[in-house]
Amino acid sequence: MTMTAQTASLAAATPRTRRRKRIRGSSIAIMVFLTMCAAFVSVPLYVVIVTSFKTMDQIALGEVFALPTEWTFEPWREAWSEVCAGMTCEGVSRGFWVSMKILFPSLLISIGISSVTGYALALWKIRWAGPFLFILFLCAFVPLQIIMIPLVVLISSLGIFGTIWAVAIVHSILAMPLLTLIFRNFYKDVPEELINAAIMDCGSFWRIFFEIILPMSANIMIVVLILMITTVWNDYLIGLIFGGVGTQPMTVILANTVITSFGEVQYNVDMAAALLTAIPPLVVYFALGKFFVQGITAGAIKG
Amino acid sequence: MAVRWNWASPRIALIPAMTITAVAFFGAICWTIWISFTRSRRFPDYAIDFADWARQYERLFRDHAWETALKNVLILAIGSALAIVFGFILAAMIEREKRGEGFFRTLFLYPLAVSFIVTGIVWRWMFNPDLGIQGFLRGLGWESANFNWLADPQTAMYGIILASIWHGLGFYMALMLAGLKSINTEIWSAARLDGVSFWRLYIEIIIPMLKFTFLTCAILLSLGVVKTYDIVLAMTGGGPGTSTWTPAYFVINSYAARGNIGYASSAAVIMLLITAALFLPLVLLTAWQARRREAMAR
Repeated sequence: MTMTAQTASLAAATPRTRRRKRIRGSSIAIMVFLTMCAAFVSVPLYVVIVTSFKTMDQIALGEVFALPTEWTFEPWREAWSEVCAGMTCEGVSRGFWVSMKILFPSLLISIGISSVTGYALALWKIRWAGPFLFILFLCAFVPLQIIMIPLVVLISSLGIFGTIWAVAIVHSILAMPLLTLIFRNFYKDVPEELINAAIMDCGSFWRIFFEIILPMSANIMIVVLILMITTVWNDYLIGLIFGGVGTQPMTVILANTVITSFGEVQYNVDMAAALLTAIPPLVVYFALGKFFVQGITAGAIKG
Repeated sequence: MAVRWNWASPRIALIPAMTITAVAFFGAICWTIWISFTRSRRFPDYAIDFADWARQYERLFRDHAWETALKNVLILAIGSALAIVFGFILAAMIEREKRGEGFFRTLFLYPLAVSFIVTGIVWRWMFNPDLGIQGFLRGLGWESANFNWLADPQTAMYGIILASIWHGLGFYMALMLAGLKSINTEIWSAARLDGVSFWRLYIEIIIPMLKFTFLTCAILLSLGVVKTYDIVLAMTGGGPGTSTWTPAYFVINSYAARGNIGYASSAAVIMLLITAALFLPLVLLTAWQARRREAMAR
């Protein structure tokens, strides 16, 4: 007791010098370690960026970490518009536009369905809401491989297999359980009085949704948008299985370009293509950093 | 009238979601299980031959590639667990040393934004024997440097693990950082006043307090490991041989390359069982947590 009191008063008497002294030693060690880890994380990106600006002659020398002696934008141009994926040689740009076309319907369908479902489950008294949420919770973790083949059969019977719509619909189906849970968790904190008052005012289910609930959903919308944009953009398997020959998203084009290339491999073009594919989600990440973390963790935990 | 309509509207609004759940999840899972007992080849065949209903499973468990896939998923899980360990260490350091917090957090997390295909391609380049890291080390004069992991069936899996750690490290760090920040600040100052040593503080107080965060990380990691497909494809294409196959890869390969729906379905059913085994603890724990929280609130 006296000991603690003594140390406490000692610490209080000389707070500045003590604290500074203690932080110094361990502080340097921590910073060194963190910097080393930061190097491990950032070196691959650095290597890919410098490689994409090098000429093949310089790459052949094998100095991965060296800066380009002669900066060339040729690999980027080739990757964007000329590189071959399988039979077609139109660069990754083709995949870029397909990915964009897939992205918008996926976002609209999935967010449309899950926000309404989440709202209905959270704010309207439905007796079996609990069990249904539990089932959604289970569905959120089902790996695609398990339901993939029946979905192929289903999508073919709808007559849209191999189109952009097939990919978008499968994305929406797979995202629905998780997004619904996220929306439901957000909406359940809306005060009950507010909804009761709105119902009194002759507000119908849909009017309350569009006039009260949607306008207050900006935050959760950003979170969900980030989650969906990165998931859809980074997806490979759904695009591969459900996309037709002309409707392969960017990741599939990239994989076909890099993994199954014949003849002399143009590493600089490969790296430029990889970077082009990575840029959109990275832009989202750096532009909306705070929400990105929120979105990814919400997607991971609450699922 | 309005009241009646308000009774019906929410139920109508739920129809799309319920249809998706019933058809695309429940129905599809049942379909896969059913098909896994049939002789389906390229096209589904709905007749079950009850005399030999487990044919696909018998074949599956005699298949060396499947054995490798199961083994790999285990190796991958153990190896990737390092991401949680390092994630915690990083989070603890960032939390302790507030300087540069934003910078390090942003840097460690960016790989998560990049797809597994890109991650795989990037790391494949790093592992390139002549032009990647190995070539660089040999160029420095370290002639015996060996970083050509992907070419050797023994080490290819470690290459994939390294790339997965690179991809996921920041995510576990972010989860751990959130966990650490939720710890009451009084604990830190109390521990400092009592002169509790650094190691004891972390091992005896902080880590036990974060056990739920650790568990969440572990379960998320294993669910992710079960799904591992893209990164394998981008780094090794399953090779050399079948040495880096995973169950997820096996399913796609049986379906797309071998054109055998029945076989692919049986492998998918085993995947489902693995997922369920990992998933049930999470569900039970969440339920238990919710109940405890409720009890505490009362």
